[in-house]
Amino acid sequence: MVDKQVLYEEILPQVSQPVRYVGNELNSVRRGASEAEASILLAFPDVYEVGMSYIGFKILYEIVNSSPRFVAERAFAPWPDMEAQMRLYNLPLYGLETYSSASSFDVIGFTLQYELTYTNVLAMLDLAGVPLRAEVRTENDPIVIAGGPCGSNPEPIAAFFDLVVVGDGEEVIVEIMSEVARKKREGAERADIVNSLSEISGVYCPRHKNPVRRRVVADLDEAEFPRKFVVPFLEAVHDRVALEVMRGCTRGCRFCQAGMIYRPVRERGLDNLCSLAEDLVRSTGYDEISLLSLSSADYTQVTELSRRLVEEHAKRGVTVSLPSLRVDSFSLELARELEKFRRTGLTFAPEAGTQRMRDVINKGVTEEDLMSAARDAFESGWDLVKLYFMIGLPHETDEDLDGIADLCRRVLELGRSAARKRGKAGRVRVNVSVSSFVPKPHTPFQWYGQNSREELARKQDYLRERMRMRGLSVSFHDVEASFLEAAFARGGRELAPAIERAMALGCRFDGWSDQFRADLWRQAFEEVGVDPSKWANASYDFDQRLPWDHIDMGVSKDFLRREAERAAKAELTPDCRTGACTGCGACADGARTRLAGGAWR
Amino acid sequence: MVLRVRIVKGEEARFVPHLGFMRAFERAMRRAEIPVAYSEGYHPLPKFSFASALGVGITSEAEYADIQLDPDGPEIGVEEAFDALGAKMPPGLAVVAACSYWGKSSLASRVEYASYRTSACPGLNDAASVFAGLCTSPGMVTTKSGQKEVDIRKLVRKISVADGGALEFVCACGGRAHLRPENLLAHLSSIAGANLNAVRLRIHRTGLFFVENGELVSPMACKCKDLVIAKGWKPGELS
Repeated sequence: MVDKQVLYEEILPQVSQPVRYVGNELNSVRRGASEAEASILLAFPDVYEVGMSYIGFKILYEIVNSSPRFVAERAFAPWPDMEAQMRLYNLPLYGLETYSSASSFDVIGFTLQYELTYTNVLAMLDLAGVPLRAEVRTENDPIVIAGGPCGSNPEPIAAFFDLVVVGDGEEVIVEIMSEVARKKREGAERADIVNSLSEISGVYCPRHKNPVRRRVVADLDEAEFPRKFVVPFLEAVHDRVALEVMRGCTRGCRFCQAGMIYRPVRERGLDNLCSLAEDLVRSTGYDEISLLSLSSADYTQVTELSRRLVEEHAKRGVTVSLPSLRVDSFSLELARELEKFRRTGLTFAPEAGTQRMRDVINKGVTEEDLMSAARDAFESGWDLVKLYFMIGLPHETDEDLDGIADLCRRVLELGRSAARKRGKAGRVRVNVSVSSFVPKPHTPFQWYGQNSREELARKQDYLRERMRMRGLSVSFHDVEASFLEAAFARGGRELAPAIERAMALGCRFDGWSDQFRADLWRQAFEEVGVDPSKWANASYDFDQRLPWDHIDMGVSKDFLRREAERAAKAELTPDCRTGACTGCGACADGARTRLAGGAWR
Repeated sequence: MVLRVRIVKGEEARFVPHLGFMRAFERAMRRAEIPVAYSEGYHPLPKFSFASALGVGITSEAEYADIQLDPDGPEIGVEEAFDALGAKMPPGLAVVAACSYWGKSSLASRVEYASYRTSACPGLNDAASVFAGLCTSPGMVTTKSGQKEVDIRKLVRKISVADGGALEFVCACGGRAHLRPENLLAHLSSIAGANLNAVRLRIHRTGLFFVENGELVSPMACKCKDLVIAKGWKPGELS
C-alpha cells in the first residue's frame, strides 16, 4: 500500500490534474486484492483521460471484477510532473482502487494500442520496481503480460514481457486468472506459472517464441460487455456510453490493420444492444450514447437501432452519435437524424486523392460519393467538413498528391456555393488532416517500407504549397513520429535496447507532439547502434521471413499477398458481406461473419 | 419549482476540478431521474447552476446548486428528490440538505461571502491576529486575468483563531468581490515571514452566505420552503 498521506498532502497538491491519480470514481471496484484468489493490475501506458476512453480496457475490468474470485485495478502512465514527484518521494506505481503498489499484484497486464507508448510501458514498470527485462525477474515479481493490437507484432517489446495475449481478450483473461489462482494454490513457482500460462491458446511466450494463433470471440452476443462503466471525474477523451455494436470490418482497406486482424465481422444483436444501452445510461448518467465499431454505419440494423435508442433516451436528454461515417448519403441521412443537436462538423476519410490511388488501397469510394456527401452536408447546414488523407502510400506518385489538393479545393468551392444560397459563404471551412502512411503487420502493405523521412517531408511541402487557400486549413502528422511508429510496427527484437535507452534518456508520451523528443530518440538509436530505418523504410520480399510470421492473426499470408498484388494493379476486392468470399482465412475457430437479424439465432 | 441543494465535497473528491464536479452532479441527476428542465435550442442543456466554484484541493460542506425542475415532467417533492439524488451521488460527494426555492435571483448573483476553516497552523496565528487588527492590508491576489494587488483586509469580514490553532475566516465570494482562501493564507504567511508551501495547510469551506440587512444568511434561509436535512448531519458552526 502506498503512503496515502504523502500522496494526498505532499504530492498531489503540486501536480497538474491531480484527480488523475486519485481513483474513487463512480462504479470503480474497490474490493482489494488481499481477499482475491488472483489479482491483476490493468495498466494503460498513456495518461488517464486517454486510457479511460478505451472500451477494451473497460471490458477486461468488468470481466475480471465480475468474478468474486478475482480483482482488477487500474493504473495509467503518470504525466511527467507526477512521475518526477513519485520518484522524489519514492512512491511506486499503484492501483487506483486501493492504492496497492503495482508489484503486489499477481499480474500486470498492459494494453498496447499504439507503438508510441512503449517508453511509457518501461517507465511504468520502472516505477513499479519491476525489472524491465523478463529474463531477470524473480520469484516475487508480478507476471507482466501485454495485449492489444500491438501484440500482432510483439517482437520489439518481447524482451519486456513474460507473456503476450494475441487476439480478443474476453475469454483468455478469465483462463489466465483461473490458472494463476490454481497455480498459487499449489504453491507453484513463478517460472512454473508462466510456463503453464503459455500453454493457454492465444498466449505467446517471448522466451519460447512459440507460434501462436490469435483468440477470437465467435459470438459477440455471448461475450461479456459491461453494464457499468467507471465514470471519471476528469473528462476522458471519449466520455460517453460507448456501445460496441460489432467487431471487425471487411471493407478491406489495404493499409488498415484493424480491418484485417479483427475479422470476421461479428455484430451484436439489436435487443442486446438496447438492453446494454439502457443499463449503461442508468448506471453512468452519461448524456450520450455512441455506436462504436470500425464502421458503425455498416451495422446491418443501424437505422432501426438508432431509432430505438433515440426513442428511448431522447426524453432524458441523452443523444445518440455515430463516430465513424461512411462517405455516402445513407450515413449522412443517419447523421442528420442523430446529430440534430450537435453541429460540430462532419468528417470524411477519402484517404487518397485520385481514383487510381483509392483503388490501390481498396477504399471503395468514388469522387462522386464524396462530392455528393459533401454537398449534402453543406446543404443541410454544416459549415465545417473535415477530410482525412494519407500520403506515402505504396504506388503513390505526385499526381496523387495533386489529386488531394484538387479534391479539397473542389469540396471547399462546393461548400461555398451551397452556403452562398444561405448568404454564409464566408463561414465555410474545410479542415484537412494529412497523415503519413505507416505500414503495419498483417496487412497487404506489410511488405512495403515507409517513404523515407526526406521524401515524406518533401510530399508535405508539396501539398502545403498547393493548398494555400482561405477556408482551407491543413495539418500534417509529425514525420519523425510516423517513422518511429513504422520501425516499431515492423521491427524485431533488435529494437529493444533502443527503447530502454530512450526511456532512460527521458522519452515519454512519444505519441504526444508536445512531448515527443526526436533528438533523444536519435541519440538512443546511435548509442545502441541500431538503425531504425532498416525496419521502417526497408521493403521486405514476399518470400522473406517476417519478424511476426509466428503470430497468426487469422488472415492468411497468401491472402495478404494476393491483395498486395491486386493493389499493384489497382484492382478492387469487394466486401465479403455483399460479394464473394475473399478467402482471407479469418472464418475459423468457430468464428464466421455474424450479422444481426441475419444469420442470427 | 427550483430545487436548491447543499452538497458536501469530501476528502475523496477534493482534487476534482469544478467542471468535473458539475458534470458529476449532472450525471447524478440523470441517474436519479430527477425531472430537470432543459434549455431550448440545438443543444438542450439541463438547467442547473452552482453558487460558486471551489478551488482544486479544497473540501467543502457548503456547495449549493439550484435545479430547475421541468414543469411538464412528473411531480416530485423535495424529500423525494433529496432521497433519489442522495442515493445516486458519486463517491466523495453527498447531498446534505435540500429545499424548494421560490425567488427569482440566481444563487451566483446572491452569494457574497464564504466561510472557511483551515487545519491547525500555529505559525500563522499571530499574523491572523495582527491582520484582524489592521484597517488596510494590501497584497497580491489571483484573479481570472492574473496576479494583481488589492486591499485584502477589505475582502475579509471576520478572521479568528479557533481552539487548536486553526484559522476561521469569512471572506468575499462571488461576482462583486472575491478572495481565494489560499491567497489570504499566502498573505498571512508573508506577514508572518513564513513559507506557505512549507506549511501545507488544508482548507475546508464551511458556508456560503447571502447578505440581508447587513447580516449573513444561509442560501436556504430566504424564499425557501420544505427544508430537508440529512439525518445526523450538523452544519459547521459558521453556517
